[in-house]
Amino acid sequence: MSTTAVRTGTPPTARERLGDFGWGTVPYLMVIPGLAFVLGVLGYAVAGGFWLSLHETDMFLMKTYVGLQNYIAVFNDPRFQASLVRTIVFVIASIALGIAMSMMFALTLYHVGFGKRFFRGMSLVPYFVSGIAAAVMFRFVFTTSGGFVNYVLQQLGLHTPSWLGDPYLAFMVSVLANCWFMVPFATLILLGGLQTVDKEIYDAATIDGAGPVQTFFKITLPMIKPMMGVSLIWVSYISFSTFDIILALTAGGPQRATEVVSMYMYQLAFLQLDFGQGAVLMVVLLLFNTVLSLFYIYFFVLADKRTEKGN
Amino acid sequence: MATLTRGGETAMIGREPGFFDALMARFGRVILIGLPLAFLVIWTMVPLIWALLASFKEPLEIYESRSFWPRNPSLDAYWTVLGMDGFGKWMFNSILVTVVATIVPLILSIIAAYAFARYLFPFRHVLLLLYLVPRIIPRVSLIVPLNDLMTDLGLINTYWVLYITYIASAVPLATWILVGFFKAVPREIEESATIDGANMWNRLRYVILPIAWPGVVTAAVLCIREGWNEFAFVLALVTETGMRTLPYALYMLKDSMGVQDYAVYNAFTILTVLPLLVVYLLLERRVVDSIVSGAVK
Repeated sequence: MSTTAVRTGTPPTARERLGDFGWGTVPYLMVIPGLAFVLGVLGYAVAGGFWLSLHETDMFLMKTYVGLQNYIAVFNDPRFQASLVRTIVFVIASIALGIAMSMMFALTLYHVGFGKRFFRGMSLVPYFVSGIAAAVMFRFVFTTSGGFVNYVLQQLGLHTPSWLGDPYLAFMVSVLANCWFMVPFATLILLGGLQTVDKEIYDAATIDGAGPVQTFFKITLPMIKPMMGVSLIWVSYISFSTFDIILALTAGGPQRATEVVSMYMYQLAFLQLDFGQGAVLMVVLLLFNTVLSLFYIYFFVLADKRTEKGN
Repeated sequence: MATLTRGGETAMIGREPGFFDALMARFGRVILIGLPLAFLVIWTMVPLIWALLASFKEPLEIYESRSFWPRNPSLDAYWTVLGMDGFGKWMFNSILVTVVATIVPLILSIIAAYAFARYLFPFRHVLLLLYLVPRIIPRVSLIVPLNDLMTDLGLINTYWVLYITYIASAVPLATWILVGFFKAVPREIEESATIDGANMWNRLRYVILPIAWPGVVTAAVLCIREGWNEFAFVLALVTETGMRTLPYALYMLKDSMGVQDYAVYNAFTILTVLPLLVVYLLLERRVVDSIVSGAVK
């Protein structure tokens, strides 16, 4: 970031100054109130979390410095190891399914010949449903007696499993609920990408004899790379930090089959009142998410600056 | 799905398209778009519609495996929810917190976004980055230290704790959206206003805001969404029943009802979701356009 600071150090032209304002203290005064909230609360929380992870809290909320002891305890904890593996599987499954669905929906919305506005507006509805409500509705769709899925299976004369009672099925249902919640936003981002691709390129490709599959992989995908990056960031962010959906859907069960890191963190900190170890899990979540986001930004958004429009 | 890319018809250019070919191409197109479209509609609407249908059913009817439409649609479940001890308070809490967590971040963000969009001041990139980094921090991960901090400050179970945390998480989002919209306003218009003697407040009020209004509306709707649906913070910072917001109350409903009365449960869910969906449907066009145009990230 130092290079950018140097670049902005050059005095602005009169045009950029907008007449009566120089660049004295005014912009800082405008930026600081919002920043105070952001840094005061979120910044403090991040710093405080790191600090907490190095301390042990006793029952009188007194804190003693214990070094990396919490980290050692957490990383040797089989329950944590299991929850970390589960989270990774959950995230990979959610990204794969979520991006595939988003792409399919985006292509559908791009090509649909009638009611374009209506379908687009409808596709975003789940984005406005809270995670808790989404989970409650999904639980009801998958309940053994009274659920929609088993209603359909029964009408077809098929076996009706206990979706949320079986560890594997419950894990699957939680991935589905997560996708229901996060796919709409990713869909519209990808749709925006599809709409920026010049139609003439497709015509040229067709004349050159490219089939639809080839066109998709050789033209469409590379052209929408930045939007792909944005939706990947969104999808992984939501999946990594998934909490309310799992809490209300399965509460980590059955037999801890859906206990992801954020669930275990809540368990440790709020039910077992081990703030230090809970904070370690916070650090883990934070690092995973940041590294993954930076990776996407680097590979999808920055590496492809030329297709980005001004803004 | 990949075969959807335009070309179903144009692929025929090389040879004489007969009537049969044309028919097949058309039929194929209908299938290729119709099937995913049907899936999209069913996938999106089933959870909502199933909950809506159940909320009109009688409690025992829901457990019957062959019931789809409510036999005797009734609003009983809704009356039960509305008469619930505390429902009015939870609704009030949700509305109050959401309104505060929309108006305050909007004001802060409009001011900050104007500075970022129009002034070339040293360290602006670093400052903007400080605004944006919180967007990739999972909010649930912050609940442990926040609970610790707010306990120390004695703010647990107050509206203040909700205002502060909700505002803090809405500001980065709103600023990010608004910077993009403000930058898109042509400088020339503002310059001519300056020549006519408009000061910064007047330029913001009469030039920037009217032109960038769709951005303000989008930011407002997304702040409302964040405030209305926020769960992790209220779970970690509120313990009193009377201080709950609707998502928290919905989550706790499971424990407070001895028998699973699914009709009431679903009616509660619908009432939680509905107000925000109404806001969305009223402003749907602007929000969808903003997201599709890449203004929301």
